[in-house]
Amino acid sequence: MAVLDQGPPHYKKMLPPIVQENYGQWKYHEIPSPGVLKHVAESGATLYSVRVGTPRLVSIDFIRDVCVIADEYCDGFLRWTTRNNIEFLVSDDAKLNPLLEKLEAEGLSVGGTGRSISNIVHTQGWVHCHTPATDASGVVKAVMDDLYEYFNTMKLPAKLKMGLACCLNMCGAAHCSDIAIVGVHRTPPRINHDVIRKGTEIPSLVASCPTGAIRPDPKNKSVIVNEDKCMYCGNCYTMSPGMEIYDPKNDGIAILIGGKTSNARSAPSFSRMVIPFLPNTAPRWPETTEAIRKIIELWIANARKGERVGEWVERIGWEKFFSLAELPFSDMLIDDYIFSRETFRTSASFKY
Amino acid sequence: MTEKKTPLLDELETGKWPSFVTEIKRAAVKSEAAGELLQVLERSYAERRGHWKHGGIVGVRGYGGGVIGRYVDEPQTYPNVAEFHTIRLLQPSGWFYNTKTLRTVCDIWEKHGSGLTNMHGSTGDIILLGCKTDQIQPIFDEFSEAGFDLGGSGSCLRTPNCCVGPGRCEHACYDTLEACYNVTNEFMDELHRPMWPYKSKIKFSGCANDCTSSIARSDCSVIGTWRDTLRIDQDAVKEYVANKFDIQEMVCDKCPTKCLSFNAETQELSVVGEDCTRCMHCINMMPKAIRAGKEKGATILIGGKSTIVQSAFMSWVIVPFMKMETEDDFEPFKDLMRRIWEWWDEHGKSRERIGETIYRLGMTKFLQGIEVEPVPQMVFRPRANPYVFWNQDDLDRSGTALDGSKL
Amino acid sequence: MVFKMARGPADPEVKAKVLEYLAKVQKAKSRDVAVAIGATKSDVDNAVKELTAEDLVEYLYITTTFICLKGKVQTPD
Ligand code: HEM
Ligand code: SF4
Ligand code: SF4
Ligand code: SF4
Ligand code: SF4
Repeated sequence: MAVLDQGPPHYKKMLPPIVQENYGQWKYHEIPSPGVLKHVAESGATLYSVRVGTPRLVSIDFIRDVCVIADEYCDGFLRWTTRNNIEFLVSDDAKLNPLLEKLEAEGLSVGGTGRSISNIVHTQGWVHCHTPATDASGVVKAVMDDLYEYFNTMKLPAKLKMGLACCLNMCGAAHCSDIAIVGVHRTPPRINHDVIRKGTEIPSLVASCPTGAIRPDPKNKSVIVNEDKCMYCGNCYTMSPGMEIYDPKNDGIAILIGGKTSNARSAPSFSRMVIPFLPNTAPRWPETTEAIRKIIELWIANARKGERVGEWVERIGWEKFFSLAELPFSDMLIDDYIFSRETFRTSASFKY
Repeated sequence: MTEKKTPLLDELETGKWPSFVTEIKRAAVKSEAAGELLQVLERSYAERRGHWKHGGIVGVRGYGGGVIGRYVDEPQTYPNVAEFHTIRLLQPSGWFYNTKTLRTVCDIWEKHGSGLTNMHGSTGDIILLGCKTDQIQPIFDEFSEAGFDLGGSGSCLRTPNCCVGPGRCEHACYDTLEACYNVTNEFMDELHRPMWPYKSKIKFSGCANDCTSSIARSDCSVIGTWRDTLRIDQDAVKEYVANKFDIQEMVCDKCPTKCLSFNAETQELSVVGEDCTRCMHCINMMPKAIRAGKEKGATILIGGKSTIVQSAFMSWVIVPFMKMETEDDFEPFKDLMRRIWEWWDEHGKSRERIGETIYRLGMTKFLQGIEVEPVPQMVFRPRANPYVFWNQDDLDRSGTALDGSKL
Repeated sequence: MVFKMARGPADPEVKAKVLEYLAKVQKAKSRDVAVAIGATKSDVDNAVKELTAEDLVEYLYITTTFICLKGKVQTPD
């Protein structure tokens, strides 16, 4: 009989012996080479973690392949990181270089530590969600291919954490990333009245809209959308497939930058919009990869050592950023949503 | 099934970054559904739009969540993915695995599903991507047998997660792995049987580096900290100097509170403990020489969420310091969470995250509701307007009669 | 059905009232059920937990969570 509510598998069974022996007794760590962390415990024990990028969407055969590697070099233990990387946990120094050679031979990507770009945290996109304005995995693949040189080296001014959310529900929580890629719908849903009449509960549909843009249309046994109120969130499409939110001509990508979640030096901060729209040029999104590369290169050229994107922009000023980046500024970049006032410049000092 | 061409997706098999297209193709060798997923996706790439519909089914007896219904919009064209549901499984704390456990997951999923997974979802679960409705109960039964349980979905406590913590990080100020495991087990009802206005998430980070991004990604962020003064090992400082590390530029100058000073002559680093805000910068820069104080615990913050609906919120401080050392220390945390959820359940509107409810009704009402005393650590700065809503108690306490006597 | 962490058995009377109420509506939120039948929400939640285990009631997630009699609300075709 199936047991209910037994909770997650116990983590203690998943810890390699070296972690069990030195649990909570780690003293410091170093990064001997990109993608390799060396943790030293009070006891002197040394654990190497080799970080490997994954596409997050992986097959069971991929998981089985990494298990084979972990069995051979890591006594059968490995872990995943918050950012969807795999870490092979090596307790025997003699196995470190053979492991690195094996990973190289298998074509796996070692990197993502220290002053590098780590894997892009992302969502489902066209692969498996119902409201995406762009794909997730494909954009991430295109951007990471382009920025690969910053994944397997550590030559950036500071760490670079990117996130992608394929619609403005932003379930990937891209809103506090150094660079955030956000899928945007730009038009209200088109109403397919036939589909709505067939099987939609009108009151639930009306209630699903967060801005109250939908009202019932009893004559038509359907609904009307007040287009001025619509924020293109796609909630109504979740409720009824008759509210077609996707719009191939107008859906696309916005770029936000300068967020962080760590408390180091400055308080955590939101990412801010610098490019309101880029087209959805599948399969490789060249406009997006180019725009991101430009911002990163500008940051590399201008930031002080250790300065994350947001710290750099805040130091030089956003007005300066726009002139350096040669990005057009427009009314779309001035907040007119709920907490807009705190972004207005209530001071007579600024740069040009 | 017959080979169909996917020219657009094929372009995503080139380049150095590992390819999800290659992964779907690998799964397609064994699963017709994965093969059809590739067709649907190729169409999305050509038409630049999604082809999935949302559904309300749940499926596992005794559970209110853990499975997310997904249907393709043209079931006649794509019968194998007509139903293509997601299953969420609770991950082990810190995403540590032995290979035996991972192979068990693969074997069960190979038998009943598409063979595609997300390791892991944004919330932290193991995500199994794509199975038919009639397979859901058998899948659960087998995973249950193998020691797994479903994760959260719906208006419930979503699967908590944590950073690697004491498992492999010198910065951890409390046992994030145990806290996550313990708290997840405590709130099985809240996790498996949705009953709240909307979802609620908890993330455990061992220090203010916040590797789980808890402050941005969870309604309740539990962030490790300490109360006394950080500890400096002067011998190790001298080693950094010997290795030509510029302590003044890289550490002291970047300390946000300017409470660190380095004496180049004596090669000693000193800190004004009471000015330090415990931001972690100096510790990150010099892990061999600087470490947290001895009195460790966690800061509890509430309200973080993504943009929808009332803009993105970051969690804010509710309890500046809570001890988190032993299992007994988890009790006050759990009590606090129960009070918070009860208040929200009582006052929250449908689809309102707790941060939004607090914002709508005011921190004052919230703090009174959960019986937490206000402290200055909760705010960056106090209010700039005089519009205090006085209650009778405060009036009675502060009013004076015309002759100057206390009322 | 084995619940590893049980909260104590639900009140049979509340369970009966929940079923009675759900028979009258398409679907409902458990808070609304509690108000309608004059029980506390936690009692309703506990009753619903047992009723789902008994296969009489099920949860639905359509932008937020609802409960309904098992099979009453159809999934999209
Ligand atoms: C005892 C009665 C009143 C008091 C104590 C008072 C006080 C104030 C204060 C403190 C402001 C805020 C200014 C700011 O935030 O910049 C203000 C703004 C204003 N008040 Fe009054 N007010 C009173 C009556 C009135 C009356 C009777 C009128 C009109 C017939 C009026 C018209 C305005 C206008 C137009 C402003 C906006 C000024 C601006 O910022 O351009 N007030 N008042
Ligand atoms: S961000 Fe939006 S489209 Fe993307 S997975 Fe989340 S809800 Fe779906
Ligand atoms: S897209 Fe969002 S805001 Fe627009 S009508 Fe639908 S639910 Fe309302
Ligand atoms: S949050 Fe702190 S304790 Fe946890 S892994 Fe990151 S640095 Fe280590
Ligand atoms: S933790 Fe931060 S505030 Fe405290 S001394 Fe170090 S750098 Fe300064």
